[in-house]
Amino acid sequence: MADLLSTSVSGLLAFQQALDVTSNNIANASTPGYSVETANLAEALGQATNVGFIGSGVDVQSITRNYNEYLALQVRGSQASYSSANTLAAQSGQVDDMLSDSGTGLTATLQSFVNSLQSVASAPTSASARQALLNQAHALAQQLNSYDSQISQFGSQLETQINGDVSQVNSITANIASLNQQIAAESTSGQTPNQLMDQRDLLIDQLSKLVSVKTATESNGSMDVYIGTGQALVTGGVARKLITTPGTYDASEVGIAISGGGTNADITPEISGGELGGLLSARSQVLDPARNAIGQVSVAVATIVNQQQQSGMDLSGAQGQPMFTVGGVQTLTASDNTGSAALSVTRGALSALTSDDYKLQFTGGAWQLTDVTTGQSVAMTGNGSSGTPFQAAGLSIVTSGTPANGDSFLIQPTAAAAAGFSVALTSPAQVAAASLVQGTAGSANTGSATVSGASVTNPSTWVSGTYTVTFGAGNSYTVKNSGGTQVGSGTYTSGTPITFQGAQLTLTGAPASGDTFTVGLNNPANTGDNSNLLAMTDALAASALNGGTTSVTGAANSLVSQIGVITQQAQNNATAQQTVNQDATTARNNASGVNLDQEAANMLRYQQAYQAMAQVITASGQMFTSLISAIQG
Amino acid sequence: MTISTLTFQTNALNQLEALETALSKTQMQLSSGKRIQTAADDPTGMAQVNQLNMELSASQQYVSNGNLATANLNLETQALTDATNLLQGARDLAVEANNASLSTTQRQDIATQLNQQLQQLVAIGNRTDSNGNYLFGGYSSSSQPFAQSGNSVSYSGSEQVSQVQISENQRISAGDTGSSVFMNLPAGNGTFTTAAGAANTGGASISPGTVTSPSQWVPDTYTITFTDATDYTVTNSGGATVTTGTYDSTKGGNISFNGIQVAVSGPPASGDTFTVAPAGQSSAFATLSGLVSTLSSPTLNAGQITTQINQALTQIDGALNNLGNVQASVGGRLNAVTSSQSAAQSRQTDLTTQVSNIQSTDYAAATTQLSSEEITLQAAEQSYASLAKLSLFNYVS
Repeated sequence: MADLLSTSVSGLLAFQQALDVTSNNIANASTPGYSVETANLAEALGQATNVGFIGSGVDVQSITRNYNEYLALQVRGSQASYSSANTLAAQSGQVDDMLSDSGTGLTATLQSFVNSLQSVASAPTSASARQALLNQAHALAQQLNSYDSQISQFGSQLETQINGDVSQVNSITANIASLNQQIAAESTSGQTPNQLMDQRDLLIDQLSKLVSVKTATESNGSMDVYIGTGQALVTGGVARKLITTPGTYDASEVGIAISGGGTNADITPEISGGELGGLLSARSQVLDPARNAIGQVSVAVATIVNQQQQSGMDLSGAQGQPMFTVGGVQTLTASDNTGSAALSVTRGALSALTSDDYKLQFTGGAWQLTDVTTGQSVAMTGNGSSGTPFQAAGLSIVTSGTPANGDSFLIQPTAAAAAGFSVALTSPAQVAAASLVQGTAGSANTGSATVSGASVTNPSTWVSGTYTVTFGAGNSYTVKNSGGTQVGSGTYTSGTPITFQGAQLTLTGAPASGDTFTVGLNNPANTGDNSNLLAMTDALAASALNGGTTSVTGAANSLVSQIGVITQQAQNNATAQQTVNQDATTARNNASGVNLDQEAANMLRYQQAYQAMAQVITASGQMFTSLISAIQG
Repeated sequence: MTISTLTFQTNALNQLEALETALSKTQMQLSSGKRIQTAADDPTGMAQVNQLNMELSASQQYVSNGNLATANLNLETQALTDATNLLQGARDLAVEANNASLSTTQRQDIATQLNQQLQQLVAIGNRTDSNGNYLFGGYSSSSQPFAQSGNSVSYSGSEQVSQVQISENQRISAGDTGSSVFMNLPAGNGTFTTAAGAANTGGASISPGTVTSPSQWVPDTYTITFTDATDYTVTNSGGATVTTGTYDSTKGGNISFNGIQVAVSGPPASGDTFTVAPAGQSSAFATLSGLVSTLSSPTLNAGQITTQINQALTQIDGALNNLGNVQASVGGRLNAVTSSQSAAQSRQTDLTTQVSNIQSTDYAAATTQLSSEEITLQAAEQSYASLAKLSLFNYVS
């Protein structure tokens, strides 16, 4: 009869524990990362009798959590992808918002500038039109400066975020390592510490939000965490810290390294997924290219307008001065260079200039140029001396000093251009509407040719002076300077300008042998001459960029759509990954989460079993009482 | 299948959030009227909108350029009309003066009138637009192009005139240079000039002449010398005789040589000469001032005066002809501006429509979408509110 009591007691205890588990489940119904726990009941070992084994009650054999490793991995993977795409979309959305206003965007400002050039061309002496042009030039400069400073601001916020994320990663990995130690210690008892495991899983979920990681469980229950391409972040009870390091070229663009063993291994290129992955993508796919593209537009506007200004004459009769100043080529020295080499880089032909960044490295006794954006190596002509500089990608590179093997430089042809873009002209009269030169037909000419235009086409090769074009037999001509030195000759073809010394003369009609034409500095009285401004609007509309395929406004417009595409892709990707993540989370929660109805049912079930067990004890007591009274009889 | 209570809650919340986001986006489209808020909404559409807006803005600029050009060209048309009327008047005066019965005083009166007209013509040449820019100065628009010194008028303007862009690929001259309007005119009949010798004593005059066969004309200075009242010899500049002939002073007669023909009328004296020289350039001003000095001269004889007046009449006709040509060219340019502006206006309408098609919210679709999203959100809220209340614990006592 003692068996009856002890069996009942085992039942009472087991159902009490099961109710404890149920009550814990109900209590944690809303706890993040909580996995529903089950009290696993098992029949206690039986006692051998001559009629067979009689069971001796029930035991709670173990309390396990409902946890599905596969579903958890899916949640983490999609969490990392979602948070990466979402971060990229947010970062790129800032630039997208900045560029997207069709009323006040870059293309509209460029067009307004061209329109104000047209207005001055239509009324070259109008002081108000000239002032309006300068105002538009200032508006353009302000917009380019503001774009650049906003991108810089986005950039520095991004660096701050990277630093913040890295310290969050470190605090999470430290916690994981310490949980690993506790779990390993607790696991020696043979039971799994569910609460610690839940906590650790939650931490890994949080870590996946920051960066994509892989995990492996060891036999002692501790979990190793790997980052990038397999660099261990947590091994058992030890966590290795991530640190941010100043960029090799630009100290303000931080890299991410993993510490340990006395050396820090740079793993920036290996980082993917999560907020950190999204931030790094935003830096390399959105912020840097946008800054470079805006710089390219700045360089193009300044180069075209300045060259034309210098081909013109302003209202005071002087040669036009550059209208804009623009930031130069940015050359960044690698922090680990050991040699004494230094670079001096200037821009050359506009059409060859790209918005890419370049790396110049000294390897095997020679300098090699690589396009950082495409990863392609770029052929250079010249030898890098000041006499014959290296020429490539619209750049002219002069090296000095002695490089050590492996020394490198980052060349950013346009990154600093927009920041340094400003209006150099101070007075409306300085707008060079008129051509710098004028052509005049000789008074004794007998042919029908008249001058339809004379202009300086290349102010850097133009030598100021008066030149005489003299026609001979068969439309042949010679060009002489005022000293009588011949500077050009050729055969005239109708419709083709006569070019010499960076200038050109256009005739209409047929010249006769002996006819002369002079090209000399324009008359300061020709204030109604607008030919230089018309040439400027032509030059701005021409496809002068990217090997003669893109106009200035085309480049500005393609930047807008390029950032739009990146943002749209990131947004779509984020939406898709969010759905995947929600589905995975639902699947995992359905497997591991608490269903209150189920718990209510369990509670009723265990309660009833407990009450029944108590009835058995009462029955056993009554049986005992009956027996005693029979004996006392 | 078990659904965790937490999942039910979070999924319902996620769903509500997604519906609210969609609703706010549709509401944004309705309130801003724009389907594309940023380039990310439609990168290709945004690029097109930018491109179309640039074209629209440029087109508006071309229209305003055209308005400026029209204003200038209208002023020029007025000036050309005034100059034409003035020269027409001068021509009438010259015809009036070409009458042997007039006395020297009467001719001098006409000369005085012509002198005033000369000054008026110079004033027309120096007209300015509302901004003080000279109409006929070419590039040199801020300095006065014509200056009169005594009887001679000189042009100091430029030989080129500024162009105005009136459409994407059309530029027109915003004016004409004073030299092309008034200065570079052909002297004489355009091929040669004729003159009576200064020492002539007879009353014969020579006509401006005509070219009968351009291919036979050899440009040179020819002298027609009357060896007596009836015989003449034509010699070239080298002194070689080109032709000889006889002349009847009662009938007058044509003298022809080298593809040209001149008419002589009136009685020549022996030794009187007439010259035929290749035409250079003359100006409307030089013609008028020449006429003034002819008519005010007390010493010229009737033949010399008639010759010079005839010469001047031919040149005035040439100047009128040139004014007519310039007037026609200005008219053509004004037409070009008008037609490019009307083309620009219809293009602008097209562009605005295209921008609106790409960028603007389709209100019908957006309104429908908004109400369907509203209904969905309401349903989701209601179902969540009623489902969330369900729990077995409500019935466990």
